[in-house]
Amino acid sequence: MSALAAQVSDSVHFIGAFDPKIRTFDIIMKTANGSSYNSYIVRGSEGVAIMDTVKKEFSAEFFVRLESLCNYEEIKYIVLHHLEPDHSGALEELMKRSPQAKLIISGRAVMMLKGIIKADIPFETANTGKQISLGDKTIEFLSTPFLHWPDTMSSYLHEEKILFSGDVFGSHYYDERLFDDEVGDFSYAFKYYYEHIMRPFKQYVLQALNLYNRFEIKTIAPLHGPILRTNPQYYLDKYEEWSSEEKFRKNTFGKKMLSVFYMSSYDNTHKMAEVIMEGADTIEGIVASMYDLASLDEKNMIDLLEESDAIIVGSPTINGDAVKPAWDLLSCMAFLESQGKIGAAFGSYGWTGEAPEMLHDRMRWLKFRLPIKPIKIKLIPTEEELDECFAFGKEVAEITMGKMVEMEI
Amino acid sequence: MVTVSLKDDNIIAHTSVGKSLREVARKSGASMEFGCRVGDCSTCIAKVLKGKELLSPINDKELLVLAAVGTEDDSLRLMCQCSVEAEEGEIEISYFF
Repeated sequence: MSALAAQVSDSVHFIGAFDPKIRTFDIIMKTANGSSYNSYIVRGSEGVAIMDTVKKEFSAEFFVRLESLCNYEEIKYIVLHHLEPDHSGALEELMKRSPQAKLIISGRAVMMLKGIIKADIPFETANTGKQISLGDKTIEFLSTPFLHWPDTMSSYLHEEKILFSGDVFGSHYYDERLFDDEVGDFSYAFKYYYEHIMRPFKQYVLQALNLYNRFEIKTIAPLHGPILRTNPQYYLDKYEEWSSEEKFRKNTFGKKMLSVFYMSSYDNTHKMAEVIMEGADTIEGIVASMYDLASLDEKNMIDLLEESDAIIVGSPTINGDAVKPAWDLLSCMAFLESQGKIGAAFGSYGWTGEAPEMLHDRMRWLKFRLPIKPIKIKLIPTEEELDECFAFGKEVAEITMGKMVEMEI
Repeated sequence: MVTVSLKDDNIIAHTSVGKSLREVARKSGASMEFGCRVGDCSTCIAKVLKGKELLSPINDKELLVLAAVGTEDDSLRLMCQCSVEAEEGEIEISYFF
């Protein structure tokens, strides 16, 4: 480890820690290049601000870098843009060493702070527009929630045009050369991070970009990976492009997308799927499509789920369960935002027929809108039962187009 | 009967005095997000567009959480803390605001 605290600008230094050996982050992400926990120090004429800390087991490295640049008595503010343990791990110790420092967190972070540090510690909350002063340096806060935790905020150092973006614009990419113009090619890591961390929160990304665009940004200082100083606008544009793709595709079609996904063992669930799609397709403004889950890979599943306004999933029941590809499909929602999407389930069965209700229940936990009950048919559907399937598809499509559903609770 | 319109989900729920809005949301299949469900986390903040007088009075937990997120809008409530208190009327709620 190099103990040097790298200089980012006249008054800002990197004092974070490097984790070259990490290979899986947060269970879901592969980190072939390792990662870093970025933390920064901002020095003004009337004190110092520490911007985030590091994962607890890397505290020693963080404190060595911090001590090379300031005394604990000089620290006026500690800012946590996001309270996840990889950034708050050294907070408690830092506050012990700098009891005079004011902790600044977002309003949404208050309850998380109590969950992370099991003691009452003083803090102030910040929302968009709040400023703190270090004498000749001013830091302004921006509320950028859900990127990727509810509590996330960003901040902007006016005098040096530096955006402290939290996890936004991060990469899991270890390289002690630190700056985007000096490290290796991290473009894969930058996109991979977006896909796995920010993609479910596209609407919030676009809201945050609107806030960022109010400022002239010379450098982006994220919480993981390279510091972006060469052409910050390139990274802002990439986030805008990736977060707007779905909207662009919808605008191209100009209609709402309804997708019927199914698996079938004796063609019965397949027949149901066909008729459900036909029913849905009769509704003006809907484009209905159907997909055999046996032939979809994960990437296709994620893309189709993302662009669909309504998702109808069909599975036969085998040994009291839905089939694995149906569960695999729904597990892809971990990468996407499901709020606002309409869901429904169906399937043919031989003995017990639990699958449609199980899928319906899973979609409820995934926060789909589930306005109508699942439909299940014993073995081969009759003509009357296929008519019910047609009406089922039509009803889901009508609701997708805005029809209100009345119920008694 | 009280009518609760969850306009973002195209749902009109006819319900009765004493029902919690969390129960209405859950049973109707609404997409309203809930986190801790005990009034600590702020996940279920929603705007009561109509009929706020038909709901239980705002409680201390709600006041604390709403102050922490920096809002002074008195039509915002935590859905996990509200219940229907009237015999009749119309309540309209939006959670995308």
